[in-house]
Amino acid sequence: MKTLYILNNPQLFEQCTLAMGTQDALLLIEDAVVLSEQQSSDENHFVLEEDLIARGLNSGSSWNKKNYNEFVALTLEYNKSVSWL
Amino acid sequence: MSKSLAIIFNKAPYGNQSGRELLDIALMAAAFDMEISALFIGDGVYQLLTNQQPDILHMKNHSSTYKALELYGIETVLVSSEDLEQRRLSESRLMPVSSLSNHKQINKTIAESDFVFML
Amino acid sequence: MATFSLLVTANPHSSQGQFSAIQFAKTLLHQGHVIKRVFFYADGVLVASRLNCPPSDEYNLTKTWAKLAITHDFELTACVTVAMKRGIINATEADRNALTGENIDPAFEISGLGQLTEAMLESDRLVTFG
Repeated sequence: MKTLYILNNPQLFEQCTLAMGTQDALLLIEDAVVLSEQQSSDENHFVLEEDLIARGLNSGSSWNKKNYNEFVALTLEYNKSVSWL
Repeated sequence: MSKSLAIIFNKAPYGNQSGRELLDIALMAAAFDMEISALFIGDGVYQLLTNQQPDILHMKNHSSTYKALELYGIETVLVSSEDLEQRRLSESRLMPVSSLSNHKQINKTIAESDFVFML
Repeated sequence: MATFSLLVTANPHSSQGQFSAIQFAKTLLHQGHVIKRVFFYADGVLVASRLNCPPSDEYNLTKTWAKLAITHDFELTACVTVAMKRGIINATEADRNALTGENIDPAFEISGLGQLTEAMLESDRLVTFG
């Protein structure tokens, strides 16, 4: 089942990505958006644009940005979402 | 068709209410005939240790509820052997409620479930 | 058009999750989707208190949820067990437990975890904000 992983805690990046399969995607939100300046990106790796802007991080990130409209679309594109807490 | 729910325990007990509140969800969803898996990874493996005595701190001991999972029809209770090993824990220190598993099998269970909860 | 339910476990006073959930809810409604129920669990239930009183220049999460739910006709449900532990009380529970008052915002209701399971089974998508 294609799964969208939603991560808000940067400390749990490793545990979260370990659970992911090749067809899954990762969306960084809230405090986890800082990872988009620290970790290399992948085609299935996304970061929430509004949370970057809020933190003054919008220009430094090379990750594929998604806004809230696209966040909603992602949850529908994937069969389910897992909020990794 | 019955839906499936995977519940992932990834935090040690008593410093937070996560384990206890996830258990309540598991038991409720089981009553709705959902197919439940309880998965223990990371520090969540500490939830399953025998001999927990939080009552000495006046905290409720929820660990006995793990023993009731089977009674509620929750048969898939998997603990990550890699995470046990990393924490130098042997299976003999755990309550006899879970099956020793690995990341690969646990990931497969997460992937196949209709819903996944963490807390 | 899809039907969503949300599970909100984030503490409204110490984390961003409730703000994220509201933004997500507003966006999906704007796109023409619908919400069946927002279920509050763990520290998420704290947002249901009508006595939450943030400074006037800060966003009132309780009132925002209430307004959104009334405008778009969806349910705001707080889990009874965890709500009572945290002092979120409706009139019935206040009466039953001999407490001096209730504090739940009238737009919210207190109910059992079964309402979460039902929301999962009757929605196309469930998204958690913790």
